[in-house]
Amino acid sequence: MQYWINHNGVQSGPVDLDALKQMGLTSDAYVWHEGLSDWVKITQLPELQGLYEMTEAVAEVSQAGPVTAGQPITEFAQEASVENNPVAPVEQPQAPAGQPYQQQPYQAPQPQYAGPQPDEAEPCPPTNLVWAIISTVLCCLPTGIVAIIYATKVTNKYRMGDIEGAKRDSETGAWWCIASIVLGIICQPLVSALPVWLASMR
Amino acid sequence: MRRPLIILLVAALLLVLGLVYYALDPSSSTLFPRCTFLSLTGYKCPGCGSQRAVHALLHGDLAGAFRYNALLLIAIPWIALCLYAESRRTRNPRLYARLNAPLLIWLFLAMVLIWWLLRNIFNW
Repeated sequence: MQYWINHNGVQSGPVDLDALKQMGLTSDAYVWHEGLSDWVKITQLPELQGLYEMTEAVAEVSQAGPVTAGQPITEFAQEASVENNPVAPVEQPQAPAGQPYQQQPYQAPQPQYAGPQPDEAEPCPPTNLVWAIISTVLCCLPTGIVAIIYATKVTNKYRMGDIEGAKRDSETGAWWCIASIVLGIICQPLVSALPVWLASMR
Repeated sequence: MRRPLIILLVAALLLVLGLVYYALDPSSSTLFPRCTFLSLTGYKCPGCGSQRAVHALLHGDLAGAFRYNALLLIAIPWIALCLYAESRRTRNPRLYARLNAPLLIWLFLAMVLIWWLLRNIFNW
């Protein structure tokens, strides 16, 4: 399996799992491989679990601890890279570092362009604003105005990082849109047709 | 597979509605629904006149459309832009986020409410 990495805004890849382990990624890195529809946080891939924890622990120890504590770890890391070297030359000709995206053997749409930045990894949930506006202007009901207010709540919560809350408000807003369109397009003509009907019955 | 079908259905519905609103004049025909808010309260709602405005618009009468419902005419470009952003929400999240900025939405809501008030005061 080949991985593409987006770490601190820098993209790299493709690399295999062993090479990925050498990269010293932290839990804020984003990873993509074939079969994923979008970048995911490294913490979301089960096969990479523990990897970033180890590098973070190393970073913490080497930052906090004295030089003596740091040395065994760097030695360990060097050993590990030597151990993995026999594998690396086999993989590297396929993915020259200079032009990482030119030689993809299969379709990989995401890494071909710059890729979504980490802050855009999760797009804003639908605000339903268009449907709220259409139902307000055409169906003229207070329910459309409620839907507009829910649209603001979705964007507000998304900007504050509350993705779950934004998704909930997005769904509630969608129901208000459906309600106002159903009421406006089905019930309103019925109500307006009723007096005409009653008059013709007499 | 589902998305093209929905788009096709919506396009067909819009075409039929467009033909109906082009052929028949809502101000003289009794086929079209009347606004419930207007018949119940005697006051115009923000959407009153939209059907006549659409009829005028389909006949190329911009001034007439503006007279029937100015809000509709102003909202159409905005709605078109929002629809475009909506269709590219995951591919172009920035445009979507910009169009859905809370400030813009509040401004639009304020515009609707002020329009509602003014049209009943000045009988627009």
